[in-house]
Amino acid sequence: MRRRLLAAAVLVVLLALAAITAASAPAKSQADSITVWLMVDAQNNWADAVQAATRQFQQQHPGVDVNVQYQTWGEHQTKFDAALAGGNAPDVKELGNTETVKYMANGALADLTAQKRSFPNSATWLQGLTESVTFNGKLYGVPYYAGARAVIYRTDLYRQAGVSTRAPQSLDQFVTNGQKLMKKFGTDRNFSALYFPGKNWYASMSFVYDYGGRIARFRNNRWEGALNSPQAIAGLTKLKSVVLSLSRASKTGDEANPQQALVFSKGKVGSFIGNGWEWPYSLDPKLGNPELAGKIGAYPMPSHIKGRYMPTFLGGSDLVVPATSKNRALAADWIKAYTDTASMTSIAKAGNIPNTTSLVAINAAKPTLAPFARAAKYSWFVPAAKNWANVESANVLQNMLVSIFTGRSSIKSAADRASSQITQILNESR
Amino acid sequence: MSSQAPAAPVPVAPTTERAVPRVGVRRHRKLLGRVGINLLGVLTFVVMVFPVYWMVNTAFKPGIDIQSYTPKFLPNPATLVNFEDAIHRAYFWDVVKNSLIVVGVVTALSLVLAFLAALALAKFRFYGRSAFLVLVLCVQMVPLTALIIPLYIMLSRAHQIDKLSGVIITYLTFVLPFCVWTLRGFLLAVPKELEEAAMVDGSTRLGAFVRILLPLVAPGLVATSIFAFIQCWNEYIVAYVLLSSPEKQTLPVWLAGFTTLHGTDWGSLMAAATLTALPVVAFFVLVHRRIAFGLTAGAVRG
Amino acid sequence: MLRGTAPYALLLPATAVVAAVAGYPLYLLVKLSFQQYGLQELIAHKGVWIGTANYAEIFHDRQFWEVVARTVVFTAACVSMTMLLGTLIALLLARLNAFMRFLLTTGLVLVWAMPVVVAVNIWYWMVDYEFGVLNWLLTELHLGDFEHHDWFVSPWSGFAIIGAVIVWGAIPFVTITLYAGLTQVPRELVEAAAMDGAGVLRTFRDITFPILKPLFVILTSLSIIWDFQVFNQVWIMRDQRPTSDYFVMSIYSFVESFKVSQYGLGAAIAIVMVLTMFAVTFVYIRQMVRMGDLR
Repeated sequence: MRRRLLAAAVLVVLLALAAITAASAPAKSQADSITVWLMVDAQNNWADAVQAATRQFQQQHPGVDVNVQYQTWGEHQTKFDAALAGGNAPDVKELGNTETVKYMANGALADLTAQKRSFPNSATWLQGLTESVTFNGKLYGVPYYAGARAVIYRTDLYRQAGVSTRAPQSLDQFVTNGQKLMKKFGTDRNFSALYFPGKNWYASMSFVYDYGGRIARFRNNRWEGALNSPQAIAGLTKLKSVVLSLSRASKTGDEANPQQALVFSKGKVGSFIGNGWEWPYSLDPKLGNPELAGKIGAYPMPSHIKGRYMPTFLGGSDLVVPATSKNRALAADWIKAYTDTASMTSIAKAGNIPNTTSLVAINAAKPTLAPFARAAKYSWFVPAAKNWANVESANVLQNMLVSIFTGRSSIKSAADRASSQITQILNESR
Repeated sequence: MSSQAPAAPVPVAPTTERAVPRVGVRRHRKLLGRVGINLLGVLTFVVMVFPVYWMVNTAFKPGIDIQSYTPKFLPNPATLVNFEDAIHRAYFWDVVKNSLIVVGVVTALSLVLAFLAALALAKFRFYGRSAFLVLVLCVQMVPLTALIIPLYIMLSRAHQIDKLSGVIITYLTFVLPFCVWTLRGFLLAVPKELEEAAMVDGSTRLGAFVRILLPLVAPGLVATSIFAFIQCWNEYIVAYVLLSSPEKQTLPVWLAGFTTLHGTDWGSLMAAATLTALPVVAFFVLVHRRIAFGLTAGAVRG
Repeated sequence: MLRGTAPYALLLPATAVVAAVAGYPLYLLVKLSFQQYGLQELIAHKGVWIGTANYAEIFHDRQFWEVVARTVVFTAACVSMTMLLGTLIALLLARLNAFMRFLLTTGLVLVWAMPVVVAVNIWYWMVDYEFGVLNWLLTELHLGDFEHHDWFVSPWSGFAIIGAVIVWGAIPFVTITLYAGLTQVPRELVEAAAMDGAGVLRTFRDITFPILKPLFVILTSLSIIWDFQVFNQVWIMRDQRPTSDYFVMSIYSFVESFKVSQYGLGAAIAIVMVLTMFAVTFVYIRQMVRMGDLR
C-alpha cells in the first residue's frame, strides 16, 4: 500500500511534467528565425513601421521568421543582462542612447564598423546619436530615433495674460512672461506658468549647460564630476529661481507620473518642457483633451544669452546587435529594413526626430514638429563614460535636484555631493 | 481565572451593592452596543474596500475623468471603452490562459508534493528532521530577485527559458516550503486516537494515514492551495525575465505593458485588472469558508 | 513511530524539486557573493574570486547599515500594525451579525484577491500629488489642507503610506485566519469568564490568546519573513526609481545587482538578508519546531 501510494505520487509528478513539456512548442533552429527586442513605444505608436520592415526583410530572406518582442522600460536591462548571461540574447535590441556605453565598453555588442556604409542614410546620421553608438572609434549600433524638448504652451492663456505668443528671445523674457501668467491665473493653486516636476533632470541640466557648466569632464585620464563648478552652480541657481516662482508641480515627482502632457491637458498649466510627441498626446481623445486643438504652440526654450536656445537634451534610442547573436548578418539586414527612409518617415510622423538630417524637411514642414527640430540645434548629451548608466540608476541627479528644490540642501552642498558621487561612480573600475 | 463558578444558583442577583440598570435600559444599551459594532463593521468595510471600489470606478470612466482635480465618485458618463480596449489588446486571452495553466499546475503539484513531505515531517521521527524543517523555511527566506540570474542560467541550460514549464517549476520551488509547513501543522492537529483506531483495524500505518488523514486535512489542503494560487497569480519579476514571447506571458507581465514612456493608460489598466480579479474573487468566495476552518484546525491544537 | 526508509521516501519528491531548482541557484548565489561579477564577467561567464571583499565592502558601507536599520524598523512597524489590526478586525467579525460578517469577509476577500502590482498602482494614484483622491477627500473633510500634498517628500510620511499599502494587503489573510481561530475557542470558557465579571480585554488576554498562541506565532513569523522581503510596494510607489532614503534591503540588493550591474555585491547583500531574517525569526522557528516535538 505504501509503495503503491509512493509510486502514484511519483507518477503524478512525472505525468504533469511530461504534459507541460509536451505542451510547450519546440524551439526553432537558429537559422530559421531572428528575435528582435523593441520597446513598447514602437508597439503602441508606430507598429505598422515594424511590420513593414519585417515584410521587407522577409522578401529578402524568405523562410526566416522575425519574432518581435516588446520590452518595458522598467526592467529591460535586467532581462537583457539575464539573457546575455544565459546565452539567449536577442539578435536585435533597442537600447536607450544613455544605456549603450555600458554594453559597448564591456564587449557585449557586435562591431558593425565594416558595414557602416551599407546602412541607409549613414552618411547623414544625427551626430548626437552616432556618438552614442561609437566606442574607441568603432561603430557598435545604428541610430534609431531621437527626441528633443521644447516649450509647449497654451496660446490662449498667453493672450489672456497679455503675453506675446511669439517665442521669447531670452530666458529673462521667458521669466517675465511667466510672472505675468502667474499674476493672472496664479490664484488657482493648481496653476503653473511652467509645469516643472522636481525630478525632471533632462530639462534641469539644460540650465547647467546653458551657463557653460557640464555634468562631468574627462581630465588626466579620469572622470571628474563638474556640477559644483561656478558655471554649473550659476545654472542651478537660475533653475531654482525659475522653478520656484513659476511651477506648482511636485518637487519630488517626475515628468512621467503623472504624465505632464496630461496634466497640461487639464487646463491649469501655461506651459511645460516636453518632447515632440507630448503635444499630440495632450490632445489624445482617450486620455487628453481634444478641445485644446488649435490652442497650443511650441518654441525652443530660450537661452540666457539673447538670440540662442538653451541646449536641449538629445534623448533617443539605438538599435544594437548583441555580440552573442548567431545571426549577425540577418540582424543587420532587419535593421537596414527598419531604418530606411520609408520607415524613418513613419517614425518621424509619430512625433519623433528621425535618425538622419536628410529627413529634417518632414519635421520642418509640420508646425507641430518644427520647433523640436529647431531646438535640436543646440543640444547636450550625457558623458560618454563606461559607467554612466550606473549614475542614472543611482538617481544621483534626481536626488540632487529634489534636495535643491525642497530646500533641504543648499545648492552648493547638493552639487558638491552629487559631483563627488559622480566622480566615484564613473571611475569605478569594477 | 476561576472556572469554578458558584454552583448554587442564587435566585436573585445581588443587586443592592452593584447598580445594575433596569432590564429596559440594559436592553437599550445592548442595542446601542450592537448598532455601534455594526457601524464599526461598515466603517471597516468602507475603508478596506475603497481602493477596490476606486479600481472598478476608474475602469468605467472615460480617460479625461480619470485624473482630474475634482474626483468623481461615480463614473458619469460611464463608458465601456476601457474594457473593450483591454480585451482587444494583443494577447489578452493568451495571457489569461497562461496564467490559469501556471496557477493550476503549480497548485495541484504543490499539494501532492507538500502533503507527502508534510506526512513525513509530522508523523515520523527520523534523523535530521529538525534540520530539514529549518532548511525548508530558509528557502522561503531567500528573496526571489536575488536568485534570478543563477536561476536563469540554470534554466537556460535545461532549455526551460521562454516556456511555461520553466516558470511552473520555479514557482513550485518557492511555494513548497510554506505548503509543507502548513500541512505539517494540520497533520499534527489530528488527534492520535483517530490514527490508533485506524491501526486497530489492521491496516498499515500508511494506509491509515491516507484513508483517515486525507479527509481531515482537506481544509488544510484548500488553505495551502489558495496560498499557492495567490503567489503564482501575482508574481511578476520571474515571469518577466523567464518569458519572452508575448503569447507566453502571464497576466502580471501583460499588465505591466500598459505603462510606456508615455505614461500609463490608467483606464484600460483598471479595466484589465478588474477583469483579471473576477475569476480569482469567484474562486475565493466559493472556498473561503473552507479555508477559515482549515487554517486554524491545525494551528490551534498544534 | 516508524523508522526506516518511509519518511525519506515521502520527502523525496518535494526535496528533489526544491534541491534541483533552488539548490543550484542558491549555491551559485553563495559563490557569486565571493566573486567580482560585473557586466564584463557576466558576458564572459566567468567571475573573479575575491574572497570576502564583497562582504567587507558592505559592512564598511554606511549606507548598508542605514538600510538594515530602516528595514528592521519598517518591518517591525508593519508586522505589529498588521497583527494588531488583524486581531481587532477578527474580534469585530466575531461580534457582527451574520449579514455584516458576510459583507466584511467578502470585502476582505476582494482585497486579498487583487494582484499586488495593481493594488499598489491604485494606492499610488490615490495619493498622487496632483489628482490624488485621498488628498482631495482629506481636504474636503476639513482634516487639513492636503491639496498638492506630496506624501513622499519626507521618508517618514512616505513609508507611512507604503506601510499602509502593505498592512492593508496583509490584513485579510491574518484576519480571516484569526477569526476562524476565534470560532474554535470553546464558548463555555468565554461565557464562564463573562459570568465572573471579566471584561473583553481580560477575556482575550487570559483565555483567547493562550489558545490561539500557536496561530499568532505562525502568523507573526510569516509576516516578518514576507514584510522583510517587501519589494514591489516600495518600487512602484517610488516610480521604479527609489531614492536612497527609500532603500530597504530587497531594493538595495536589486539595485546593486541589476542597476549598477554588480552581481557579486548584490549576491552578498542577499545572503546577509537571509541571515538577518533567520536571526530575527529564530525564536519563532524554534517554537514552531518544538510544537511538533511535544507529541
